[in-house]
Amino acid sequence: MKVLSSYSIKGGVGKTALAVNLAFAFREAGKRTLLVDLDPQGAASFYFRVDFSDKFKMKTARSLGEGLRKNIRESDFPGLDIIPSNLAYRHFDILLHKMEKRRKQLRSVLEDLRPDYDIVLMDCPPNITLLSENVFRASDAIIVPVIPTVLSQRTFAQLVGFFHDKGLPADIIRPFFSMVQSRNRMHRETMDALSSSQQGFWKTAIPFSADVERMGVQRMPLLAYSRACRAAVAYRALCDEILTQSNPIP
Amino acid sequence: MFVHRHAPSQRCFKGNRWLIPGDVAITDSRYMESSNTLWMRLPEEFSNDRLCVALGNRFEIRPLEVRHLTFWDTFEWGVWFGGCLLFNEGKHFHLCGREAGWIGSELCGEEISGGFPRFARDFAAMRGSLGGLLGLRGLAPVLEVKFRQRTADVRNVTGKIICRIELVEASVGKRTRDVSLRCCRIVPLRGYAPEASPVAEVLAALGAEPLGDGPLEFLLQSQGSAPREYTLRPVFGLKSEDPARKAFGRIVHAMLMIARSNEGGILSDLDTEFLHDYRICIRKIRSALGLIKGVYPEEETLRMRSILRNLACETNCLRDLDVYLLAREEYLSLLPPAFQPALDLMFQDFASERSRAFRKVSSHMRSPARVRFFEELEAFFQEDAPHPPSSSSELPVGPLVFRRIYKRYRKIRQSACGLGPDAPDEVLHGLRIQCKKLRYLMEFFAELIPQDKAAAMEKPLRRLQGRLGDFNDGSVQQKFLLDYWDKKQRASGGQTGMALSLGGLISILHYRRQQHREKIQEVLAAFLSPATAELFKQTFRLPAIEPTELPIP
Repeated sequence: MKVLSSYSIKGGVGKTALAVNLAFAFREAGKRTLLVDLDPQGAASFYFRVDFSDKFKMKTARSLGEGLRKNIRESDFPGLDIIPSNLAYRHFDILLHKMEKRRKQLRSVLEDLRPDYDIVLMDCPPNITLLSENVFRASDAIIVPVIPTVLSQRTFAQLVGFFHDKGLPADIIRPFFSMVQSRNRMHRETMDALSSSQQGFWKTAIPFSADVERMGVQRMPLLAYSRACRAAVAYRALCDEILTQSNPIP
Repeated sequence: MFVHRHAPSQRCFKGNRWLIPGDVAITDSRYMESSNTLWMRLPEEFSNDRLCVALGNRFEIRPLEVRHLTFWDTFEWGVWFGGCLLFNEGKHFHLCGREAGWIGSELCGEEISGGFPRFARDFAAMRGSLGGLLGLRGLAPVLEVKFRQRTADVRNVTGKIICRIELVEASVGKRTRDVSLRCCRIVPLRGYAPEASPVAEVLAALGAEPLGDGPLEFLLQSQGSAPREYTLRPVFGLKSEDPARKAFGRIVHAMLMIARSNEGGILSDLDTEFLHDYRICIRKIRSALGLIKGVYPEEETLRMRSILRNLACETNCLRDLDVYLLAREEYLSLLPPAFQPALDLMFQDFASERSRAFRKVSSHMRSPARVRFFEELEAFFQEDAPHPPSSSSELPVGPLVFRRIYKRYRKIRQSACGLGPDAPDEVLHGLRIQCKKLRYLMEFFAELIPQDKAAAMEKPLRRLQGRLGDFNDGSVQQKFLLDYWDKKQRASGGQTGMALSLGGLISILHYRRQQHREKIQEVLAAFLSPATAELFKQTFRLPAIEPTELPIP
């Protein structure tokens, strides 16, 4: 089982669209996939028409694990399950703070899911908190959408700096360019600059597409209703690129 | 693309719960736990349209899928009781899990070229998985079905699928126009069982009724081939105080029934185990008759034993050849590749000889004389058979048998105590026979022996028997192969290649036999140990009874 996270400090960069479509693409590739919606906004759950999860105790790692397992929901697409968002996740940091080994709790909780899934993909809220640190320590790769703009570039640098400060392995940060407008000269220049200065970028870039925004109307992944659009093709290419890494996912 | 229909309906969703006008949210949990295993039989008047309306039109039916499947299993239902299903669709074989009485996830599969496979060894990719389920048993078709399957998605108010309904029409046999069974089951999506539970009630309101263990078991039963447990060690329902003759009659009758159930398989020659089991039954009955005397009149007992001996003798040759042919791969692997072709010629001879032996057994099995013998045996061991009373016939079976078991154990212990590594072959052979008799007695009356003690006593006995059996097999095999060579030489002068191969093989068998002999000491010590002896004593030694009541065997 590999644990991947869709993460960015900045909001509105395409984290949830990535998580939802990548999860769908993994499942199409025959991987038993679990999407964990850690964002209290619950957008990923909304796209799959899954309601907020039932309340559960999160006082200890055990009760947290049991609660998450109990709230696994099967999506409409066989092979893809979801742990929907929960408004209580907004207190995640406080709860984690009270636990022992608070920076590694999520990893141990996810370990219990190993027999059932090939890939666990977490959709994370846009901030940098104790939960984020748990996510970093639990993940085999952090997939970071980066819009080729100055602000995105800045927040990405913040993330790299955080990893450096905390002594976390920076090589698990795997950014890719998101919402790319190829006709935009600034986008092109930023992409060139970042790709040459920062290692680990996925080759695949996801283009900006109005089709992605229609996910809110369709309430399903883009790949489920518009397979041929450029963004859908790019998501599948990104999935293939991830699966054919040198350290392949089982 | 999904279609969401919101036609008016009597039922509606509110807060993701089913609501019926004039009713509160359905909270009946009868179907909640079992809804993913609950098969329901659908009535004749059932239609998908009616179900769609009843479910508030939140129901999408997928295209019809037609499958012609043939299910395969062994006489012992090894695949079924192994929790699996084996079936073919055309040339493709699938081994799937048996989940909730239906085809579960596929474990393995392969395309077959040529004729249908019979044994696990006839498969390639599936050989490993099937080996454990089939053993030496052969496969035969148990059910041919045409399935017309449709899956329907049931959605909640947000359009999320909460469960799937699998609708199945099954027609058995070749006259597929006759629908034998219409059924369905509800498969709730993970996390949606409570929300999906009212769907079962909707189906029940449309006349659907629970279908027990699912369509496959129903269809098998309708074809008269329901899976049933098969064992050579049945439960006879004995009580310690039962009169010996009554208990004995029950045991023999049950063993005769098992023997009879193997006759069809022997005649169809599906696999070697039918004959093997048939012979075991006959041998066990005969042995038991010799072990407990005085239960039936002596003269008649002797006659029954003689009939049983003849029945077994008729099949000796076929069984011997079966054993050697089954050991073909093992024997070949013992020799260098250069020696193997010559040995293969011997197996070809065995195969032709087996064909002849099979024809002989087949004609014997069908012969009126054998049928008459069997009828005579059955009549003899009937509970109400008019035999005159004999010395032990009315004694309580428990104490009687326990005394015999203990006596037999002591006898074995006495004769085996002084045995060393150089004990004569005949003595070891005699010991093997004695152990076998003891084992049969303990197996027949296992119900009367405390379970924890039985296991502790049977283990060293079984291990000793195993070693003695290996040793004896070594002797028998060598003799058999030498006899074959003599015969071959007399008939056609023999060939140097075969002489070399057989010589090599016999040498290896001899060496292995010596190794088995060395290992006998170790297991014999365990069987004769004070702990085992004490256990036999505690379990089977009973206070003495009046000498007049207990005849000397």
